[in-house]
Amino acid sequence: MLKNFFIVTLRNLWRYKFFSLINIVGLAIGLSASLVIFMIVSYEFSFDQFESDKDRVYRIVLDMNRDGFEGHSAAVPAPLSKVVKDAVLGIEQAIPIFSFPGDTKADVHINRSEDKLVTFKKQEAIVFTNLDYLHLLNYRWIAGDPPTALIQPFQVVLTQSRASEYFPNTPAADIIGNRVTYNDMEVTVMGVVRDLNQASDFRAKEFISLPTIEASSLKGDLMFDVWDDWMSYSALFIKLSPQATPQQVSKELNLLYNKHKKKESYFSKINLSLLPLADMHFDNRYQSADFRIAHKATLYGLIAIASFLLLLGCINYINLTTAQASKRAKEVGIRKSVGGAKNQLIFQFLGETFFITLLATLLSVLISPLLLHAFTAFIPEGLTLSFLGNPEMIIYLIFVTVSVSISAGLYPAFILSGYKPVQVLKNQQLISFGQSRQTLIRKGLTVSQFIIAQFFIISTVLISKQIYFVLHADMGFQKEAVLTFNTPRDTVDIHRTQIKQRLAAMSGVAMVSNGFTSPAMEGGAFSNITYQNGSEEIKPNVQVRWGDEDYFRLYQIRLIAGRQAIQSDSITEIVVNERFTKEIGFQRPEEALGKFIIYNDKQVPIVGIMNDFHTQTMRAEIAPVMFQGRPGNTFHIKLQSEPSDWSKVTASIEKIYKEVYPEDDFNYEFVDDTIKKFYEKEQATAALLRWATGLAIFISCLGLLGLVIYTTNSRTKEVGIRKVLGATVMQIITLLSKDFIQLVLIAFAVAAPIAWWTTHKWLENFAYKTDISWWVFLASGVGMLIIALCVLGIQTIKTALANPTESLRDE
Amino acid sequence: MIKITELQKYYRTEEVETVALNSLSIDVQKGEFVAVMGPSGCGKSTLLNIIGLLDDLDEGSYKFNDIEVAKFNERKRSDLRKHNIGFVFQSFNLIDELTVFENVELPLIYTKVPAAERKKRVEEVLEKVQIMHRRNHFPQQLSGGQQQRVAVARAVVNNPKLILADEPTGNLDSNNGNEVMQLLTELNDQGTTIVMVTHSEHDARYSDRIIRMLDGQVVMTTVG
Repeated sequence: MLKNFFIVTLRNLWRYKFFSLINIVGLAIGLSASLVIFMIVSYEFSFDQFESDKDRVYRIVLDMNRDGFEGHSAAVPAPLSKVVKDAVLGIEQAIPIFSFPGDTKADVHINRSEDKLVTFKKQEAIVFTNLDYLHLLNYRWIAGDPPTALIQPFQVVLTQSRASEYFPNTPAADIIGNRVTYNDMEVTVMGVVRDLNQASDFRAKEFISLPTIEASSLKGDLMFDVWDDWMSYSALFIKLSPQATPQQVSKELNLLYNKHKKKESYFSKINLSLLPLADMHFDNRYQSADFRIAHKATLYGLIAIASFLLLLGCINYINLTTAQASKRAKEVGIRKSVGGAKNQLIFQFLGETFFITLLATLLSVLISPLLLHAFTAFIPEGLTLSFLGNPEMIIYLIFVTVSVSISAGLYPAFILSGYKPVQVLKNQQLISFGQSRQTLIRKGLTVSQFIIAQFFIISTVLISKQIYFVLHADMGFQKEAVLTFNTPRDTVDIHRTQIKQRLAAMSGVAMVSNGFTSPAMEGGAFSNITYQNGSEEIKPNVQVRWGDEDYFRLYQIRLIAGRQAIQSDSITEIVVNERFTKEIGFQRPEEALGKFIIYNDKQVPIVGIMNDFHTQTMRAEIAPVMFQGRPGNTFHIKLQSEPSDWSKVTASIEKIYKEVYPEDDFNYEFVDDTIKKFYEKEQATAALLRWATGLAIFISCLGLLGLVIYTTNSRTKEVGIRKVLGATVMQIITLLSKDFIQLVLIAFAVAAPIAWWTTHKWLENFAYKTDISWWVFLASGVGMLIIALCVLGIQTIKTALANPTESLRDE
Repeated sequence: MIKITELQKYYRTEEVETVALNSLSIDVQKGEFVAVMGPSGCGKSTLLNIIGLLDDLDEGSYKFNDIEVAKFNERKRSDLRKHNIGFVFQSFNLIDELTVFENVELPLIYTKVPAAERKKRVEEVLEKVQIMHRRNHFPQQLSGGQQQRVAVARAVVNNPKLILADEPTGNLDSNNGNEVMQLLTELNDQGTTIVMVTHSEHDARYSDRIIRMLDGQVVMTTVG
């Protein structure tokens, strides 16, 4: 029987080639999207699933609050790591993880022979930790003695990959005892462990013993004894004993912290809490340089897109199969009259769907690499895309093929197997049995397809409009043709004036300034100030900027009142923005001139008022800013020449830089590019939506084309008669198209409010946003209509132009 | 073999109810060849479909081999059909996607006959209807007469006790028509019961008995 079903399936596929192709391509697109998204999603959810007792592992994190302003930190005060295990009951293991201060990287020097020193610059993934780190992650030792490794200062354990990078062609056992120098700190290799091959946020590859910090200058740099502050280089993980509860441990932790902290913090409330290992990969409140946070909402968004695309493919299948049902009705009648039971027929038609889905799945594996372009921005670092040979992938492919077959095939299978032989065999065609209900369902499904496509179109246009708005809005300062670069912090004082003069004299450079960051930066640099307004004490959350006397002119920041702050290495006076004056209670900005604020226990006068500008992304409100007149280690250069000459100018700047800092790399960035990077996530979303829109339109139009071909074919005789009776080509085209156009219009009416609501919600993330303009809806609706008319036109025009005698003779 | 008593069949639309068969009673004995005749719309085909369990009856009794089958569900009907009844239609009703061999094989597949046995039986029956040389052709590649011979082969391949033929020669010229009638007569001679709906007095003469219908009722029965 299976063979018989298979033969009929193959012959039907071949006989209705075009419809089969629509079905297969439509399903394959949805399947490819789902494949790629499955890989991304399953990878993200696979992080840190392998640790033994992982349910008992927590990261200690900090929550801060000041007047409702919340802050979160994945780092904790460094001394906590020294005492926590002994001071708090219920902790089985404490795993401190420290990184090199600065950018967490270090230059690694290996003395391979007497006169051969090899340097690996800016090596990442180097931590200071203890043996428990290696136990937690079940590292397997290749060489070395686990009990003695990482106990004494200046010891290191390397992963196999780093060991072979530093000591190529050397057996692991021979690497033990070798010396490795991190910046200027020499340590001894005590062990080599196998690299992890599972997804983990513990990404270190070199483990230096924790006592090294106390025995070196890092003790001060990492604030190893400071309870009242913390740096992002200090992380602490704990593993609870089986009996301990996180609530109890967290309570004791806070008692311990409060006992040690001495002075009042800027934040009125600081609380230590335990972040379960399972949440670490997804909780974006606790960002940290040492690992990457995955955004659950983005993953759900990706899943939604894949589901929508799959749904569109299924709808095509259901629509085309039920529309063509009459062609299979005779077969159903015959099979039933010779003894075929209904369930056998359901099985047969489901089998056909399964076969088509299987072909679509195979095609989807082939086209997935193309689709990867759409998801480039969403493919997490470390994910290798392999389809076959990955058992999870094979299981997913089987699962998705079966579920899509059932979703797409069940309704048509019931419709087809439900035909009564008497009715279908009588005139060899389907009488009105159930047709009107099916037509209604088909129309409903077509409308749903266009709702999805229309929703994507409107959302994409609105999101792109917002991105255009944030990238082109006036930020309150000049951001075009300005580049910045940093100089090494500790030596800039000596070279600053010299560099500035040389840069200013360079052709192609309009102006040079020196100071802190450019006016806008992601994140922010806040400071703690107080203003005494009579008896009222105001403590605004203030952003800090500083620069030399050319900073304002270079960025075209206007002085509204007063004057610029005098240049000084210590803070003696400040310029504030309009927002600052409002925050401390002045209606007119100039009223704040001459008033004093308290900064670092010092009275500092306000000598100037500058215009408001955006210090962060457009997601945040314009903040109060105070500006000090002092130099910094960032150079700001306004370029004069045409963009085509900029590469020459930057090459000349680099030359000057290299002359002064021959050891350091020259990295520059254009301010407008920096601002663009604020919105990388939004731009990635827009790019993905553009793909999703394109694919949704493509799949829906394939379905529409299939339906219109079917409809026009079944109305050939009617068209012939109408033409004989005098209908014009235009009248015929209108006749054949109007039903479909109605469906597109209904879809627009449903999709428009949904898209409005969704984008409205999305725009709430921004303090400054574009209008949800009516013309976006009009243009999107008209756009969809034009696309639908073009698709319909392919077939309706052909039918309308056909010679009526042909169709009437054929009939 | 067939005993139908006081059969009522209605066709209902939203507005009207039409009586298709009205208090109709007939008996068909095992081994009989019965022709049913009457003008178009008198209910002949409806009667045949009810006998073949392709259609429901609204009132009355239908006994097949002394078993009441009027209230059988879909599964029992299909079971009874595949083991006992073969159909021959005016328009042949062959599946276009299957070859001659595969079309004839179909009833054997549904009765779960093993593949080797199927092959033997299909070839036998194709020989019998003299269409063996066309076994790998598709229906569209055959003439009307050849298609009907295939349809007859399919109807008899399962050795049914009853063959229901709905105007089997309606789409054929007289030569091909005669060939098909000859085939049916031979089958009847071998013991198969045949009920045939026809407009043709010529064809009806092949039968043992002619039932004449008008407006859903039997008006006359003549012995052939």
